[in-house]
Amino acid sequence: MELFLQQLINGIALGSVYGLAALGLTLVFGVLRIPNLAHGALYMVGAYVTYFALVSYGIPYIAAIGLSAVVLAVVGITIERLVFHPLRNAPHTHHLIAAVGVLFFLESGAQVLWGSEFRQMPSPFVGTVEVLGLNIGLQRLVVIFASIAVMAALYLFLKKTVPGQTIEAIEQDRTGASLVGIDANRVSMMTFGISAALAAVAASLVAPINLVFPTMGEALNLKVFAIIILGGLGSIPGAIVGGFLLALAEVFSSTYISNAFGQAIGFVFLLVVLAVRPTGLFSKGV
Amino acid sequence: MQKKREKKMLEVSDLSVRYGEFVALRDVSLEVDEGEFVVVLGANGAGKSTLFRTINGLMRPSAGEISFYGERIEGRPANTVVSRGVTQSAEGRHLFPELSVLKNLTLGAYIRRRDRAGINESLEEVYELFPILREKRRDPAGSLSGGQQQMVAIGRALMAKPKLLILDEPSLGLAPLVARQVLDAVVQINRTGIMVLLAEQNAQAALKIAHRGYVVENGEITLQGTREELLGNGEIRRAYMGA
Repeated sequence: MELFLQQLINGIALGSVYGLAALGLTLVFGVLRIPNLAHGALYMVGAYVTYFALVSYGIPYIAAIGLSAVVLAVVGITIERLVFHPLRNAPHTHHLIAAVGVLFFLESGAQVLWGSEFRQMPSPFVGTVEVLGLNIGLQRLVVIFASIAVMAALYLFLKKTVPGQTIEAIEQDRTGASLVGIDANRVSMMTFGISAALAAVAASLVAPINLVFPTMGEALNLKVFAIIILGGLGSIPGAIVGGFLLALAEVFSSTYISNAFGQAIGFVFLLVVLAVRPTGLFSKGV
Repeated sequence: MQKKREKKMLEVSDLSVRYGEFVALRDVSLEVDEGEFVVVLGANGAGKSTLFRTINGLMRPSAGEISFYGERIEGRPANTVVSRGVTQSAEGRHLFPELSVLKNLTLGAYIRRRDRAGINESLEEVYELFPILREKRRDPAGSLSGGQQQMVAIGRALMAKPKLLILDEPSLGLAPLVARQVLDAVVQINRTGIMVLLAEQNAQAALKIAHRGYVVENGEITLQGTREELLGNGEIRRAYMGA
């Protein structure tokens, strides 16, 4: 029972990171209809920015994450302008190829600039706290609470602010959005910025538990794609629920079956969902 | 001459639009004057929607000009045409189906989003015009009936405080009673001074309420005139009124 609860906490912590990263991917898909394969690379760059802000400049952890989110928002907007905006009228395969290009570019860039060694990100949240007889890593609690706070902020932004509403409007009807005067260009840039910032926050939260290295985004890339397909492309609740489902399935099958199976379970899940409900759990008939 | 030109608030001249090789509109000229209610008659596929989409910037013309209050607007992105004062309830309505009626309407006022008081005033006007929308304001727009969705589409187009309201077949697919209710509302809108450009297949109903009309066939304007001229035209009676 104690093992179960321990793993449940681990699963929730991992799920909140997956959920954050998948949210960014699903937002970009909803607005631009681009499957952004470079998302994992943005996640990786986000982790490095936090790492250097912490280690080289001594900026406190939480502030470093905020800084990383801002830097990545700028990176995301730049990529949208330089790579995806010029392709806006091109066939979809061009977006895919361009996104893979961005992925390779960022990974190789990270290797050249920062080397390929694995780095350990120090976090001020070390040690464990005892909750109901369980020893829980402080960092895991930080991951869970920070992720939930960011998700709640994103939700309020999307539902309660005019810029947030423009994102929803474009997702639901592009023509309708331009007929009320919404500039799809500006919304595309904003969405890319938010998406990259979410990836940065997710990566920076989990980095002290895992490690920072140039290809750290690749495994995540596969997972977040599985999550948003599982949850329904473009669906926000789908990304969150899908993130938690995948993480819990991974953690529990690693614990009770085998570690290798834990890594594969997500894709088993995905196959089952695609067979039974090909449009995803929270699809809106896209 | 100069004075006469100034009166034409919307002036479309020699407009042509192509879909690849297919010519959807050929040398179309049309105008709407201050306060006018103008109807565009024509069968399915005649080019009415293409004309409206091009005026609103959703399509680019291959030739010709569109000017509004003397300012050229052809080929501009749709979102900038709205702020010039031209809004449209388009074919297919293009509502935001998962957002509430209220949010749909509020987004209609996107170009004047900082004018909180003005937005609330416009909301009240829309609710007065279509009282059912006040009742349904919390419901997702996609859950409404066809007629109610059309009301949301018209209401949303009004929320931007347009000078010219373009309506692409608002009565399409509606029950006769609801269609009449919608067209009556359009008449009321026009009485407040907003110019109306309406596409309709039901010539009888449309000519009853419009000041002037055009007939579009195969992408060309084949006939135009005042309401009386068109109502008295035998060809129109035969082709569009089944009489």
